[in-house]
Amino acid sequence: MRRIGSPLGAPRGAISFAFAAVLAATAAFAEEPDFYQTVDRAEVGTEDTFRLNVVIVNAPEDATLTPPDLSDFEVLSKTPVDSTSIQIGSGGSQIQRVRKWVFVLRPRRAGQLTIGASRLDLGGRTLRADAITITAKKGRLQDPALAQRQRRPDPFQGFFGGNPFQGMPGFDDEDDAFPFGGPPDVDIPTTEADLFVRTYVDKKEAWVGQQVTLSVYVFSRVDLSSVDSVKLPKLEGFWSEDIDTPQTLSGETRILNGVPYKAYLLKRKAIFPLKAGTQTIDAAEADITTGYLFAGRRVHRVGNKVKLEVRPLPDGAPRGFATTNVGRWRLSVDATPEEVELGNPVTVRVTLEGVGNVKNVTPPKLTAPPSLRIFDPTLADKPTTRNGQFGGRRVQEYLVMPQQTGTFTIPSLEFPYFDPESRSYEIARTEPIQIRVTPGAAGAVATGAHAATGPVPADAPKNVLASDGVMPIRHSADFSQRGAAVWSRPWFVPAVVSPLGVWLALVGVGLVRARAAREDEGSIRKKKARAARRRLAAAETLRANGATADFYAEVEKAVITFLDARLGEPVAGLTREALAQKLTEKGIPADRQRSLLAVLETCELGRFAPGGADPAARDRVLDDAEAAMEALDAR
Amino acid sequence: MIAALVLATVIAQPSYYSPGEAEALFQQGATAFDQGDYDGAIAAWQKLADHGFASQDVLYNLGTAALKKGDLGHAVLWLERARRAGGPRDDVTANLEAARARQGDKVVGQVGDPFIERIAAASSPDLVAMAFLAAWLGGWALAFVFRFLKPGRRTWAAVLSALLLVASLPLGLLLGAHVWVEKNTHDAVVLSPTVQARELPAPNAKVSFEVHAGLKVRLLETEGAFVRIRLPNGLVGWAEKEGLAEL
Repeated sequence: MRRIGSPLGAPRGAISFAFAAVLAATAAFAEEPDFYQTVDRAEVGTEDTFRLNVVIVNAPEDATLTPPDLSDFEVLSKTPVDSTSIQIGSGGSQIQRVRKWVFVLRPRRAGQLTIGASRLDLGGRTLRADAITITAKKGRLQDPALAQRQRRPDPFQGFFGGNPFQGMPGFDDEDDAFPFGGPPDVDIPTTEADLFVRTYVDKKEAWVGQQVTLSVYVFSRVDLSSVDSVKLPKLEGFWSEDIDTPQTLSGETRILNGVPYKAYLLKRKAIFPLKAGTQTIDAAEADITTGYLFAGRRVHRVGNKVKLEVRPLPDGAPRGFATTNVGRWRLSVDATPEEVELGNPVTVRVTLEGVGNVKNVTPPKLTAPPSLRIFDPTLADKPTTRNGQFGGRRVQEYLVMPQQTGTFTIPSLEFPYFDPESRSYEIARTEPIQIRVTPGAAGAVATGAHAATGPVPADAPKNVLASDGVMPIRHSADFSQRGAAVWSRPWFVPAVVSPLGVWLALVGVGLVRARAAREDEGSIRKKKARAARRRLAAAETLRANGATADFYAEVEKAVITFLDARLGEPVAGLTREALAQKLTEKGIPADRQRSLLAVLETCELGRFAPGGADPAARDRVLDDAEAAMEALDAR
Repeated sequence: MIAALVLATVIAQPSYYSPGEAEALFQQGATAFDQGDYDGAIAAWQKLADHGFASQDVLYNLGTAALKKGDLGHAVLWLERARRAGGPRDDVTANLEAARARQGDKVVGQVGDPFIERIAAASSPDLVAMAFLAAWLGGWALAFVFRFLKPGRRTWAAVLSALLLVASLPLGLLLGAHVWVEKNTHDAVVLSPTVQARELPAPNAKVSFEVHAGLKVRLLETEGAFVRIRLPNGLVGWAEKEGLAEL
């Protein structure tokens, strides 16, 4: 156990003992006794206590003290304190023995109250200590000495660093002088009441994993020289962390059952129960040296046992909860940078900070799409203590190496914990983080697991390519505009009706031609007449050297054609009688009928009867045919 | 001759912007858009649209910038015009859907368009017009060919002519549907944040319903400063013209 005490305390015990032995031979007690009484306050409240010191110096052993009249006061305690001092001067050394009676008093009423005179009988001689008048006021008054102590600067202020929980609920900046709620309820032992060791906790009941503050104090009404060693209990069943270990003895005045004590903190620990049930904390022990120099003495004190009722955590823990996650925590994640070129890493820090056993909590594991390769994290703790609360920050730092370009989302993380103050389970969450991986400037390529093993599995989280649903603008323009609809263009309707127009035109042409054909019937006859004359001319060429039958046949065709044209209907094939009747119907005179029929008769004879080859006969037939045709034309 | 000269003069009339100026203005808008200056982008492209360069590219960018800016009314207006200017391209359709998704009105009980409008919307008017014209002229041409071919060698012409003329019949009907829709349907987009539709064309008439920016409505008739609108679900009311823009 580490030694606790004043820096001068260690050598002083041995040195003062030797020094006192050397001086003892020449030392002499002062002969004249001294007797007086004092109070520590001249003005008190009726609810205050104050001390009356009755001091006897160098009194003989048989001296008898008669206490003062204290009828106006309530005597809370009466304690003798003995001390011895050595004064070394030119005349040798003197030993001064002092006995002091300390009365703790409380006024019974308000007003001017008198502490009567005390008497000391020395066996024939009586010494008197003067009466003391004090002013008692109703109520409670500020103790000037205590106020002065409170104004004293706290030497530990800022020693443990700044407040990491500034602004968090339940973590204000209260005075840290006595963090467990005022003076402890300490039972003063019946023996060794002037100096004892006490261990106490700030709560009698706690949840598993909840911080309990354990403090070990020395309470003393005598001067304390040093604490040579402290033996703390083993604290089995607890996780413990030191939160206060004073390096020098610094006592504070505490009133226990109305008796003023100096309280010296030896150790303060944050302990975290690991299992439910009634837990007993063994007593602390300490070796303490009291007094100074030759009057010092070393005593051993054993403290008290402490019982703590540890409750199990309630049912209904959320998924992923670990029993060590007790306290009040805040979870955060940050990625640096959030936009990175392929081939460069991203640092992702998962930070868990708050109040609780920071060394025994596990931040949630980072997850990410397979396109982001996550390496094992490094762990860094920064435990802090503020207002007696153990906590701090635990940071897991991951190195994340992108395997492909794109925008990827590191999903939200959750840390379920039990809050002892609200007695409920809470979940600390982080927001998702998007990491944008751009192509490397130097054409970096992925070299990680997925690049080596092939495509991402189908059931793996996908590369998130989210957008706002708006397609990008066009960066090149074609300014040619779409024209009017085809059907509304000027040429469309004419094109549609054009076939009908063509059809109508053709019909019209046909009609015109038909009509034109009807009007030229006369010319048709003329044409036929002209054809008949051409046939007659052809027959004339056959007259000289042609075949007889051919000659007459040609003449006959010329006459028949001529009759077709003149009568307007075909006459070929008609008998002579039918032809004569047709000629009569057409109004052809009889003499001309006879001449025509004679020509036809001659031609028929010439074709089939011999003798027709006579040239004269051929000439006569030609002349008759011409004459008959001219006769009809002339009609 | 004189008419030809006048036509040539009109055709050769110089544009407000030269091609280089138009391209520079377009790129100016694109740069502003990329920097998040949507107002600047709209101003640049609006100049192009106002001076005869309202191609689909320009109108689409205008609609996209308005959508980014949060001006749903103009976003829908310009994107609808872009769709009509160059057909339903993927990006135009996507941004129109995005704009409609952000539109504040939910038309309940939406009924479909009439059959004639649906079949017109399902086909390209130009394609229908050209198909009809080809079938019609081809049928007649083959009929004429048939007339001049000798018997025994003209059966094919008769068959093809009949097929084409029969095919031209439904194409003609479809073309007629397009013409009818074009001549008789007028759509508009709500531009104002809120437009009140009243029971009568009067400022103090009872309000039937409200429509909000970006909603596409059908224009039925006009009376004074009011226009009668119909929603896709058949709701009808009179709205002030100022809050609407016809497509």
